Parts: sequence; structure tokens; C-alpha cells
Amino acid sequence: MPCALHLAVLLAGVAIVTGCVRGNGLPPSPAEVYQNSDPAAIRRGRLLFTGTCGGYCHSTKPGNREAPYLFDCSWTYGGSDREIFASIADGFPDTRMPAWGGKMPEGDADIWRVIAYLRSRRSCVNAD
Amino acid sequence: MRSTRGLLALSLCAGFGFASLGANSASAPADTPAEIQLDPLPTHWIAERPVGRGAGPVTRAMLEEPFAEDSRWLHYGGTYKNFRHSPLEQLSPANVSKLQVAWAFGTGTVGQFEVSPILYDGVLFITSSYNRLFALDAKTGAVLWRYDHQNAPNLPLCCGPANRGVAITGDLVLMATLDAHLIAFDRRTGEIAWDTEITDYTKGFTATSAPLVVDDLAYIGIAGGEYGVRGFIDAYETKTGKRVFRHYTVPAAGEPGVETWSGTSYETGGAPAWTTGTYDRELDTLFWTTGNPSPDWNGDDRLGDNLYSDSLLALDPKTGEQKWYFQFTPHDVWDYDGNSHIFLVDTTVDGTPRKLIAQANRNGFFYLIDRSDGSFVKGKPYLEQLNWATLDANGRPVVNPRAMPTDEPTERTCPSNLGGTNGAYTGSFDPALGLVFVSTIESCQAFAKGISVFVEGIPYLGGLPELVDAAAGKSYGNFVAIDASTGDVRWRARERYPMMAGALSTRGGVVFSGTLDGEAVAYESKTGKVLWRFRMGGGVRSQPIAYELDGRTYVVYGSGSFATLDDFAGGPQNIPEGGHLFVFVLPEG
Repeated sequence: MPCALHLAVLLAGVAIVTGCVRGNGLPPSPAEVYQNSDPAAIRRGRLLFTGTCGGYCHSTKPGNREAPYLFDCSWTYGGSDREIFASIADGFPDTRMPAWGGKMPEGDADIWRVIAYLRSRRSCVNAD
Repeated sequence: MRSTRGLLALSLCAGFGFASLGANSASAPADTPAEIQLDPLPTHWIAERPVGRGAGPVTRAMLEEPFAEDSRWLHYGGTYKNFRHSPLEQLSPANVSKLQVAWAFGTGTVGQFEVSPILYDGVLFITSSYNRLFALDAKTGAVLWRYDHQNAPNLPLCCGPANRGVAITGDLVLMATLDAHLIAFDRRTGEIAWDTEITDYTKGFTATSAPLVVDDLAYIGIAGGEYGVRGFIDAYETKTGKRVFRHYTVPAAGEPGVETWSGTSYETGGAPAWTTGTYDRELDTLFWTTGNPSPDWNGDDRLGDNLYSDSLLALDPKTGEQKWYFQFTPHDVWDYDGNSHIFLVDTTVDGTPRKLIAQANRNGFFYLIDRSDGSFVKGKPYLEQLNWATLDANGRPVVNPRAMPTDEPTERTCPSNLGGTNGAYTGSFDPALGLVFVSTIESCQAFAKGISVFVEGIPYLGGLPELVDAAAGKSYGNFVAIDASTGDVRWRARERYPMMAGALSTRGGVVFSGTLDGEAVAYESKTGKVLWRFRMGGGVRSQPIAYELDGRTYVVYGSGSFATLDDFAGGPQNIPEGGHLFVFVLPEG
């Protein structure tokens, strides 16, 4: 299934299950659903971040790294859940940020769990 | 000097919103994107006449006795013994404070500047981050020829764009590249003699170290331990670039040692060989060291000792056949690569003359290993803080169970993943004093274990180190002198930040290193007393050398660090990256 179609189906499914639609007309992202109601998903997101995103790349503490710090609500390529999903899934060609789409053990759901984890421990200097 | 140009041409297209420019665009049809072809930037400047002073080729005899003349530095480690100990007596505690800048040179690149320069025939060969190679007049700094390697932008670099220098043999200088090539240049002109692809870099391989030349072969190890590669050490004919052998550092199915990997984890086992080895003519043995098993911080899928990661290997130099090994850190889950600087030391231990390998290992222990058979002789901590393990009578670590990575770690574990010292920089050994000198990092972390995901060409880490001390500003450094016979620390010189610079000692009794906040420092070899400091600006990650030329005595440093690793270590955060070479000289008279 193409990634975009897969995502659309996943989003629609989550909207049906939760039965809610946000004020902007969009259903909540899977990350938002996880964040609100699924501690196990957030924990898995943390372990995925620990195992794949941290290390020599994204730090868990503010610092002077080549890869950006992801817990301060400052997003270079868009800070909505869907924009963050795109950044993780598609990566950034010609940089050292790889495309994780289709590569996580449990597919896109794992990317949404990482986003839910990022949201869960953010400390915003400025609002999103 | 004439220049050649790279393959990439720049084009500016109106379709991308650029305004029409110049005559080319004016002549294009209104509905056709205007394209302006600009000349590509030069990437290679070749000398039209042979540079240098007319010396002949670098011979085997010169490589065997490089310090027969003071105007040479021919090996990464100074000699095959790897001492990085200059025979110059002129650099002494009495005069080192009089060093002054002779000339300086900017590389134009950022990232860590880790070079150990090579000097021959009045020419300094310098590599920068991102594989620029410069031939410079050693007296004046004038550029004689230059080559800018065109690396791809998606290099699989865990830890910065380092290169640690060239090897020299005959009329060739050899540089390994971040995109995993080994390239030979005519040292007199800079023309490329051959260019061999070591392997496909997109699979996670890089090459950062200086090659080692022994007789007709050039040896180079590969990096990629953070990408789940299968590490190896290669030998190439220096004349042709043809590969002679590849020695894998992780066994394949059915080979001895594969039983130390659970399941098929050996297929992504890492154990890179990212530093420069050395050679013992008497034993006709090549010594090389290996790095961490992959993934770094989660060993659940690779249960066992994970041979031959974090090991010292003795190899037949002609065939690559392994004679023996000693593993420093079995089943490493901290990233304690076994490949910091090794020294071929002959000394007396407990009353018995021994031929040894001495190493201050990244895991915080100083080791003495018998280099004839790989047996463990002695091991002692050289750090002020070490709690991950103790050593048993055979040198095998007895691991502190609380130091093991966990989902939510709380144990402050020492040393950090960068180690007590690190293969990215050298040590030195003063044979008269019997002292090994190393820069050290005093910093502790809590090691977190996560979910490992292997995808070829993507970092395969499995966890992360929480920067306990670094984030709290509690990391610091020592420059340390270790007795090579006993393993006892003779002296420590405290520095504010962790130290990540190479070392150079001199017969005159001075040892040089540098700090992450940008100072070149000279210590008295016997005592550790600071004799001289000079603020170069960029953090020091290079390997200093010394030489004499036309009656003057010089010391060479590279200045320039890599912010990400400075952050890891707990170094200063406000010092810009950028490579500058400083050449110091003693005053006349």
C-alpha cells in the first residue's frame, strides 16, 4: 500500500474509533490519541527514540548537536503531528536524517508513537 | 599550479524563481527556463613542477628509521613502535615557553581537525575534515598543491567528518576518504596515481584513519560500528592500489568465534577497525585494534562475547591471517571501542623483560599485553572515576551489574561512551622515562537501552548515553602520565574540560597536547608541570608533531573541533568549529 494511502486509512480508522474531530476539521493524529490514552504506546515511542533517534544524533538534553534537539517545540520543518510524521518518514535527502517510513518494526504506528513520546516530554519555550 | 574542476556544474533555472541574468538568459525564449552555466569550482590544484627539495622517494629504510633525520615525520605514530616521541632535544622545559607562531593556515572546513601531519622533503602533508589534502611548504606555509575530495552529502557519519592524515611511501601519499576510497597521489605534484574504492559507503562504511605502509603494502581499516557493518582491515599494493587481502573482524557462519554471537547477530556485528595499526618487524606481525559491536547500547540480540569486537588483533602482514587476539571488553554495551593508541613497548615487568603492547583503553583500564602471544600481563585503571567493572586475573572485566544499560537508567557509570581516552587521538611514549602520556575524559553517563532497528545505511545504536556529567557541567579532563612497567599513574595535569587531543613527547623532556577550549599546552614530561600555553581558538583534536628544518625547530598543531562530540563530552559550547593549522618555531639562537 502506498505510504500516503496507508496513512490516510490509518487516520480515518483512528477518527472512527475515537469518534472525535478537532476544531480545525481534522481528526486527531494517532500521536495525539496515543498521548491522551495510551501510556504503553508512549513508552514504546520512548524506547524507539532511545534505540534509533538518540545516541549520536538527537540529544535528550539541549546542547550543541548537529541534529536538532526535539523537545523544545521549535520545529524547522513544521511542528504539527503530520509535519513531524513527514519529517521522520521521508527524511531529508542529502542530509544524515534518513527516511524511516516503512522501516520501523510496526510500521507507521511506531512513528506516531515516537511523536507521541516527543509530545509527552516536551518543554516549550514558545507555544507550538 | 594548475587547477582541475569537479564534475558538478551549477545551474540557475528561472523555474526556481531566480531572476533572469545576463546575456544567456536574455537569449532564451520567453517560455523556456533560462539556464546559466557557471564554471564549476576547482577541486584539485596540481603543481606544474615537482615540489620539495629534490629528495628521492621514501624508502623502506626511511620508514624503518624515520628519525634518522630530524626533518622527517613519516608515520602517523612517528615510528612503527607508535611512540610519537620526537628525538629533538631542542624542545626542552628551558625553552618551550619561547615558542612563537611561524605561520598559520586555514583549511576552509568545519568539523574536527584530527590530522597528524606527515613531513618529508620540506613538505608538510595535511588532511582536513571532509578530506581536503594540502601539500604545504613546511617553512613558509605556502600551498604547493591541493586536492578537495568531493564527498557525497549523505555520508554515514556517526561522529563527524574527520580524517587523521596520510601515509607516505615511494613518491606517493595515500589518503582514505569518508566515502570509503583509498587514493594515492604523487607527492611531488598532487596528481592522482590511483583511486581504489574500498567498499560501498552507502551501506554505512567510512574511512577516517591514516593508512599504515609496511614494505609494498598499505593497510587501512574501516569505520561503521554505529551502522551494523561487518568490520575489516584491508591491505593494498602501494604501486597499483590492488587489494591483496581483507581481514574481517567479525567471523562468518562456520568460522571460529561465530559462536560468540547469538542467532545471526554476527551479520550486523560491527567491530570496525577505524584507527591506525602498527607493525613489529622482529615478530613480522601487524597489530590492529577493533571497535564496538553493533548495536552499541543494546546487547540483547547479540548475546555472547561478540568476537572480535573491542579487541587487539595480531595478523600476518602478508596474508591477513589472524595469529591471536585479546579482547578488552567482551559483550560491550557502552561503546568502549578497543582501538585507542597502542605502543610497542619493551620493558621489565615484575622483574622480567617483556615485549609488550601497552594501551590506555577506552574502557578506562591501562593494559600490558604480551605481543608475542596475546597473553594478559597487567591492567589497572588510569582514570579518577571508573565503576563499570574490575579486572580479573586474566584481564577479563567483572562487570558491575548496575552499569548495564536499562530502559530507564539511573546509575552514573564511568567512563562515558567516549571513554577514558579515545581512538580519535593519539598518545605518546617516552622510552627514557618509561611513561605513556594520554589525554583523558573524566565524565560519567547513564546508559539507556531502547529498541534496536537495523536498516542498512542507517545508524544502528539500540540505546543512548544520558549525558549526566556533561549536561551538568561536571565533565573535566586530565593529561596523564602512566608508568608503562607498572600501570601506575605517575602524574595528572587537570584541565577544565575533557581532553580529546593527541600527544607528542620529545627527548628534550616536553610533552605536548591540547584542550577543547582551544589551547596548545606543553607539560614537563617528568612532572606534568605546565610550561606553555597558546590560545589557538578552535578545540584541539589533532595529533601534534615536531621537526627541525634548516636549523629551526618547529611544532605543528591542528586547531578545530566538532560541536556534537564536544557536547557529548561536556566541552565548551561557544567555540566555533573550523580548521586552522598552527606552526610554532623556537627563536633563533
